[in-house]
Amino acid sequence: MCLGIALASSEIPNELFARHALGHRVHERGGEPEVRFLYRDRHPRLPVWRDGRLQIARWGNAGRKSRFLPETGWTWQATIDQGYWKNLNPVMVDIPASLGLERGVWYRIRQGVRGLLVPDENRVAVVYMICEPSSHYYQIMTRSTRMPLLIEERI
Amino acid sequence: MTIKQGMKAIGHLDADCFYVSAERVRDGFLRGKPVGVLGNQGACVIAKSYEMKGAGVSTGMPIWDALVKCPEGVYVKRDFRWYEVLSRLMLEVAREVSPRVEYYSIDEFFFTVVEPRGGTFQGLADSIRDRVWERVGVPVTVGIARTRTLAKLISDAAKPFGALAVMDRGAEERLLSDRPVTEITGIAGRRAARLAPWGITTCLDLARADRRLVRSLLTASGEELWWELNGDPVRSVQARRPAHKALSRGGSFGESTSDPAVLHAWLVRNLERLIEELEYHGVSAGRLTIAIPYKSGQLGVGQVNLAVPSDRFDVLLDVARPALRKAWIPRATATHMHVIAEHLTSRSDCSGDLFEPPARGVRARAVAQLKREVNARHGRFALRSAATLALAPIYRDAANSHDICDVRGKSCF
Repeated sequence: MCLGIALASSEIPNELFARHALGHRVHERGGEPEVRFLYRDRHPRLPVWRDGRLQIARWGNAGRKSRFLPETGWTWQATIDQGYWKNLNPVMVDIPASLGLERGVWYRIRQGVRGLLVPDENRVAVVYMICEPSSHYYQIMTRSTRMPLLIEERI
Repeated sequence: MTIKQGMKAIGHLDADCFYVSAERVRDGFLRGKPVGVLGNQGACVIAKSYEMKGAGVSTGMPIWDALVKCPEGVYVKRDFRWYEVLSRLMLEVAREVSPRVEYYSIDEFFFTVVEPRGGTFQGLADSIRDRVWERVGVPVTVGIARTRTLAKLISDAAKPFGALAVMDRGAEERLLSDRPVTEITGIAGRRAARLAPWGITTCLDLARADRRLVRSLLTASGEELWWELNGDPVRSVQARRPAHKALSRGGSFGESTSDPAVLHAWLVRNLERLIEELEYHGVSAGRLTIAIPYKSGQLGVGQVNLAVPSDRFDVLLDVARPALRKAWIPRATATHMHVIAEHLTSRSDCSGDLFEPPARGVRARAVAQLKREVNARHGRFALRSAATLALAPIYRDAANSHDICDVRGKSCF
């Protein structure tokens, strides 16, 4: 599963940089700097488009910050289709991403990844990355059996 | 020796890390980053940026080795449709400056040039490089010289984004003196090893060696190179590709396999692709070879001669199956397969099988025609043999329906 994403720094408004102290997430590998959001971060976060605005939300329920949300950062598309999230009033969101990270492989993402936003018991927004079974290419490239549900893209 | 005004020369245009540059044309985010383009269904790096090359990644390296060398690398999936679009745009630019252009490979062209009135070959090389950059957005290097072998060596030396015309013998010799002989197209490890005992290790050594010695070591094709290195053009620019002596389809499986059903599915896929090519060139195959390289280093080969040359699926499959059986090594893990058609005959020269019931041929032709029409309307491989069902994930990926070998008209691979 996708353990992190990177977003071109130009995609993130300055106001968000300051409010969420994103400075330490900026990385340079050449070309345009990028902002990394990794599940292994002490405070895992993901950018999401909500109500036409880019916002930063908590990524999953690592460390069991919520007592009733699943302790993971991902969910299957099939699980959503089967209605398992229905009672939590989920909202489908887009997670903008320039790159995805899976087992050490950084791969290009054109737009982003689909996500599911749900509130925890304190009404804090928590986002889960939506997954689907890996394509043949993705499985060979990353050796992973699941891949993120990409927005209008199939790799 | 200096070329006088109005004299002819040969140019070589070579795109710099073409697949990566092509990706950067449509994706500015990749500029300046170490980028690798993945082929073999995601298993190997088939092209890398200079940044990734600097980290030690080489072409053909498995992605898992590349990750160790360059953990900051960014990987993208190959897209030969897009690369072909840009390749043909570059070809257009080359045709604007030359009446005779050879489409050597997807990112390399040879062309004849005449020194412009009031200008120089160097100015011409600069202008071609700049025109491709402005119009296509791909960085290229252009070399101009007295022969195509020299032009290619010069453009290789001027990379990246270079333009260099070398027409003077002294300048040629300086350039040849520090290039190993293996830089010459057509001289790889085995031929270089034959030259080494004679002290021939650089291009200049080869150019200065005795011509008869070179011929005895490298045959007539080696002698051609000798003439070329000494400024005598014996290899022409071929604006039209010569007729194929053989056609082949195949490649890596991506995921190695020892499953006979999967091998059979690959056989049928490669055969269907080969038949498309036979039909395109209007030829029939007189001999079919199946070559299967295995992980253990073994090579399985099966070869069958046809009684009557054919381009029909049913006929070729009937001979391909026993050839596969010969090439198959039980329980060994295969990594690649190549299906090769040789002894090609123009379809109009084929007499047909006199012992075959006529109805069978009529039916096979009708099925082939229907397949062509359905696929023309609904997409390549929309209608195909059910034997390929084991490869459903391969067909599901649109990138696999257009490969480098589907870019037609190239004189090389």
